[in-house]
Amino acid sequence: MMRPFMRCIDVNSEQCPCLLSDTNHCFMCSQLKGEAVCNCDWTGQCILHEKRWKAPRKPSDAPCRREVESTLVIKRQVNEHTYIVETEVGLELAEQLNKIGSFIFMRRVDDPEMCNFPVGIMNVKRGTLTMAIETIGPKSSRLFMPLEARVLLRGPYLNGVFGQPWIDSTKYGTILAAVGGLGQSNALMLAKAILANGNKATFVIAPGQAGSIFVADELQAMGVEVISVSSMRREGFAKLQELFSDKVDLLLSAGPDDLHNGLIATMHESGYNFPMAVTNNATMCCGEGICGSCAKKTKDGVWIRTCKVQLDFNQLENSH
Amino acid sequence: MIKVVIIGGGWGGCAAALSAAQAGATVLLLERTDLLLGTGLVGGIFRNNGRFTAAEEIISLGGQDLIATMDQSARHTNIEFPGHRHASLYDVGKIEAAVSELLQQHGIKVRLKTRITDVLRLGKLVRHIVTDNGEIIEGDVFIDATGTAGPMGNCLTYGNGCSMCALRCPAFGPRVSITARAQVKERNGEKLDGTFGAMSGSCKLHKESLSSALQDQLESTGVVVIPMPEMLKNKISLGKKACSQYALPEYRDNLVLLDTGHAKMMTSYFALEDLRQIPGLENARFADPYAGGKGNSIRYLGIAPCANTLQVDGVDNLFCCGEKFGIMVGHTEAVATGLLAGHNAVRYSLDMQYLQLPRTLAIGEFIAFVHEQMNEKQHLDVRYTFAGATFFNRMQELNLYSIDPSVIKARVAEAGLSDIFSQRLV
Ligand SMILES: Cc1cc2nc3c(=O)[nH]c(=O)nc-3n(C[C@H](O)[C@H](O)[C@H](O)COP(=O)(O)OP(=O)(O)OC[C@H]3O[C@@H](n4cnc5c(N)ncnc54)[C@H](O)[C@@H]3O)c2cc1C
Ligand SMILES: Cc1cc2nc3c(=O)[nH]c(=O)nc-3n(C[C@H](O)[C@H](O)[C@H](O)COP(=O)(O)OP(=O)(O)OC[C@H]3O[C@@H](n4cnc5c(N)ncnc54)[C@H](O)[C@@H]3O)c2cc1C
Ligand code: FES
Repeated sequence: MMRPFMRCIDVNSEQCPCLLSDTNHCFMCSQLKGEAVCNCDWTGQCILHEKRWKAPRKPSDAPCRREVESTLVIKRQVNEHTYIVETEVGLELAEQLNKIGSFIFMRRVDDPEMCNFPVGIMNVKRGTLTMAIETIGPKSSRLFMPLEARVLLRGPYLNGVFGQPWIDSTKYGTILAAVGGLGQSNALMLAKAILANGNKATFVIAPGQAGSIFVADELQAMGVEVISVSSMRREGFAKLQELFSDKVDLLLSAGPDDLHNGLIATMHESGYNFPMAVTNNATMCCGEGICGSCAKKTKDGVWIRTCKVQLDFNQLENSH
Repeated sequence: MIKVVIIGGGWGGCAAALSAAQAGATVLLLERTDLLLGTGLVGGIFRNNGRFTAAEEIISLGGQDLIATMDQSARHTNIEFPGHRHASLYDVGKIEAAVSELLQQHGIKVRLKTRITDVLRLGKLVRHIVTDNGEIIEGDVFIDATGTAGPMGNCLTYGNGCSMCALRCPAFGPRVSITARAQVKERNGEKLDGTFGAMSGSCKLHKESLSSALQDQLESTGVVVIPMPEMLKNKISLGKKACSQYALPEYRDNLVLLDTGHAKMMTSYFALEDLRQIPGLENARFADPYAGGKGNSIRYLGIAPCANTLQVDGVDNLFCCGEKFGIMVGHTEAVATGLLAGHNAVRYSLDMQYLQLPRTLAIGEFIAFVHEQMNEKQHLDVRYTFAGATFFNRMQELNLYSIDPSVIKARVAEAGLSDIFSQRLV
């Protein structure tokens, strides 16, 4: 049996204790939740102590992520709406973003704050970020007018993948991944992390909405076995089903929630229940646990802000 | 085979492990740090005042091995210090290894560095417990012996912050209450001013940091009493002490040191620069807590509501002992309740009637009285111990205090309970 877990992604970082602790909305520390005594799940530091230690502080001094100005350089246009871009952010922020599930909030320099939207980090090389961006609505479309825009990037944000503890703890194992559409932008970081732990990895990739497969060569060069399919539903799930066995230690799903749920259904159909890590597709606005746009309900009826909370996807109400 | 799982390896947990093993169960004892005995690593005083009676009762009831281990590890026996007679002091440097070996001889499996952070409770039963790295541990019956000391947030909110005591929460992760995780509402002890918790009444100095004259006196007699310099008297607050038995004027007017291997100092904490003004302590250093100049650990947060059989209210297969059972202080007290909890855990598994100790015994009276005071009288600001204050007075009034082992043995026999904790039930 697997233990459900919930943990703030920002605990032990320079962001912690964050604004939520000012109003007893921290969900890690019982006393910073408003309870009278300690009943915490150890995180490696006492958040209450950090809070007192740093207090008193003005709200304006609250820990804030770095904002970096840079130029977006289009490296490749994958289809009519999807671009692979690169941008220089300096070594420090780039290194902080060199993790699975990392993302930044981005907008054009002259755009108001409300235009910020989350973009996942596809790869990091010496201070340069690679990202894949699909222009689907007003915020993302603004970026490419003019084509090589000056942008503001705010980060690091780290909760782009649920179930990270499974990834960290799987060593010298066998890992399968289903990757669909823009979910490909998570594939390289995932592969880096799992290969570094000595795992064997097979990624089944479908073009999905993005209409093309753009990470296969790079994954193969890293040592991942890649199976490209034209459709995950029609072809991919069956391929994965053939690979399911007692030897599989972890299943990854990078793509929309439909992909996650389809994969879970396929897995159950085959009589397996592997631990899973999946991409976080919540609609995010602030990334700080404040605005509430990313809130989702768990099966236990608790509302959590998914920009901050690490959990297992199947703890969420609308998961299978 | 009946499997008893005990969480917390303080004196309470060790005693529960022993009686459960003696009753014939398979026993697994889980401790979050790398040492057994919990706060017992920094205590040492036993057989003082009514604890003598309780120790002899424990021996007659069949728990003699633990008392024998304390006796064998004693640096000093039958000493006196203000308000306390016929005390023994065990050596805090030796006792842990001795207890560890004893448990091994009884076939008890001890797992150190194993911290429980979750409990699966279904209806009236604990199904399993979970370690902080996700391992599931199953058992027929569980004993919450996690104590009430710390963790850091409580020491911060109700004391002066983490002072780095023997429990080493930052290193091993904080205490987690099994009862609370089983969704049982706990109670909290209070200070006289109504705030939660209480601070330990003593701390330890490195004996080597004292003047050689003080060291010699400590080693030969076990006790040093130094009159407190006038200007330091008002700096000592008796009201915050966990140990009401030392909340006496003698402890404000004097600095009392006892030889437990370290120099046990009978005040909660003392600013180092003040302490060093006392003759002989010019170079003094704290051994436990390391930051004894600023504070001490806070205890009595998270007491389990339970019956006099030590079964936790509302959960059939969960028992508790030591400080989890009530606002009590002491190694002897933790051992007495631990033995009962371990024994009754086995009775639970065999569907036998639980043992309840009669009030003709000091231990039976202690358990019943503590519950009455906490439940009916709502007295949450008093700490109970055989060694002094309220309960020792009561022992004397009720004629339960005795220092004659044969009298105590006869009482236990009269209750029909001789060697009950060493009898096999399985
Ligand atoms: C952690 C994270 C990482 C992301 N990484 C990338 C990335 O690398 N590249 C990229 O192009 N996009 C990424 N997104 C999605 C991206 O942020 C949204 O597509 C964007 O906010 C849409 O803004 P908009 O104004 O352009 O469109 P809107 O008008 O806001 O939305 C247009 C359509 O997209 C849907 N949508 C909105 N937000 C999301 C979302 N978060 N996920 C999926 N669909 C959404 C809406 O329901 C609507 O149908 C990521 C989102 C998150 C939460
Ligand atoms: C500084 C000090 C001096 C004292 N001096 C004396 C003295 O001289 N004489 C005397 O009789 N009494 C003394 N006492 C009191 C006495 O030590 C205690 O009342 C008694 O030992 C409590 O025993 P316990 O087993 O209930 O709890 P504890 O000793 O607190 O033991 C609890 C154990 O459980 C472990 N634990 C907690 N949570 C978990 C978890 N989730 N998973 C696994 N393990 C866990 C802890 O690490 C600890 O080892 C002193 C106390 C202190 C603090
Ligand atoms: S995005 Fe604002 S609360 Fe999560």
